[in-house]
Amino acid sequence: MKSQAQALVQFENVTLGYRRNVIAKEISFSIEEGEFVGIVGPNGSGKTTIVRAILGILKPQRGDIRVRGRSSERLRIGYVPQRDSIDPIMPFTVSDVVIMGRYGRLGMIRRPTSKDRAAAIEALKHVDLLDQAASSYRDLSGGQKQRTLIARALAAEPDMLILDEPTNGMDLASRTAIMELIKHFHAEHGMTVLMVSHLLSDVANYVKKIMLVEPQFFQVGSVEEILSEANLTRVYDLPVMVGEWMGTKVIIARGKSV
Amino acid sequence: MSDLEIFRTIVTEFPYALLGSLVAALLCAYLGVYVVSKRVVFVGATLTQVAVAGIAFSHLPFADFEPLYGSIVFTVLVTLLFAWMLQSKSVPRDTVLGASFVAAIALRILMIQKSAAAEVSEIDAILKGDILFVTAQQFHLLLGVFIVLMLIHLVFYKAFIFVSFDAETATTQGFNSRVWEMVFYLTVGVAVSVATRVVGDVFVFGFLVIPAAGAILTARKVKNIFLLAILYAAIPPVIGLYLAFKLDLPAGPTTVTTGLVLLLVTWILSRFKH
Repeated sequence: MKSQAQALVQFENVTLGYRRNVIAKEISFSIEEGEFVGIVGPNGSGKTTIVRAILGILKPQRGDIRVRGRSSERLRIGYVPQRDSIDPIMPFTVSDVVIMGRYGRLGMIRRPTSKDRAAAIEALKHVDLLDQAASSYRDLSGGQKQRTLIARALAAEPDMLILDEPTNGMDLASRTAIMELIKHFHAEHGMTVLMVSHLLSDVANYVKKIMLVEPQFFQVGSVEEILSEANLTRVYDLPVMVGEWMGTKVIIARGKSV
Repeated sequence: MSDLEIFRTIVTEFPYALLGSLVAALLCAYLGVYVVSKRVVFVGATLTQVAVAGIAFSHLPFADFEPLYGSIVFTVLVTLLFAWMLQSKSVPRDTVLGASFVAAIALRILMIQKSAAAEVSEIDAILKGDILFVTAQQFHLLLGVFIVLMLIHLVFYKAFIFVSFDAETATTQGFNSRVWEMVFYLTVGVAVSVATRVVGDVFVFGFLVIPAAGAILTARKVKNIFLLAILYAAIPPVIGLYLAFKLDLPAGPTTVTTGLVLLLVTWILSRFKH
């Protein structure tokens, strides 16, 4: 087991909220380098609040958030937002979008150099979209848009990849392709990944560690510990079945009347 | 009067009308690209009315100062209020803009009612878009504002474009989107307040929307949108002033109408192209 000082991110008794509205109270967890972590929970439970704290956008009301053992250090994060949150009227090309991933490194004034363009091309190669570099982002399919946003996050050469509902609203093929792509980065490049998702089956089959966020309640542990039938049935207030079919975990909710 | 004589008269007798309307059109067109792409077109409409209300305020008997100051103070204050309220999710965006729009018009009417007759005619000239009598002083001020605002936008192009495309991710990369949104709205507020004083509200609102819409219809790359918007903005003031002279029409609305015809032609051509 790695020591706490080596954790990439360490939350110690952290309380998060907006003014008097406390969303998460005295939560503690760590994310180690190279881990694939999932965050699940019902709508409005505080998943986004925890992600905002990891991103450094939301300061804790109490407690300590440490990066590699230090409170002052900041992570370089490759963030992939929900693609529906972006609504471009302007004809950004795929490469325009991906080069934005370098802006954090460049600061306010410096313009992208050939090194930045090379990093963007490399990121596009990783997501198999190099041939679409000159295409308009707004004309892409949902899966291609998501891969573009992942390429933008990778172009930042991040310490950690954070994905917010990466497969939301996708068909089965696109969903599987995106999850396999994320899995590839985690496995082949040792990328630390944090994924927020409503789709429990996606999370169960890809991550090792999971955080289950409920209003005023927080659990963290292995997939087997957290995604148990009893736990999920209590959290979602529905009969939930957890099974396995041909090596793949399947989580199904039944209606209350069933 | 021949066409050549009309152009010669414009250039020799009313050079600041031509230059002032060109600079105002270019400034509004550049900022308009963001205004249209952020879907906050009504901000432009509201701010122009707020600017006119500020000018009307400066003509009240107790307020003895240059109308431009009234325009700038009113517009900047309302811009700050917008930047704060438009980021709040508790009040719908169109409600904030609608209430501000109607309040600005109502205030302007009330203040005109209490102003001296001679000064009412100046506000009337702004509302009618009578841009022929732009003074050298007004033009130089507008040019100064144009240079400063364009420098801000060109130097911080990355921040404006990133926050405009994806504010959430921009914040994760160190671009405080709340601050940059505020800076953006302030630049629009200053541009609108100064330009409205010089060329009128119809002209300013028209050029915040029309060139950007034309450019977005035709451009295939983001950088080309800004260049095309500037090109679309440069043509109507020249043709509009010529037509205003020839047909004895108010120059501001004539220029805006020329821009609209250009937009319509662009739209039809782009439909054929597709």
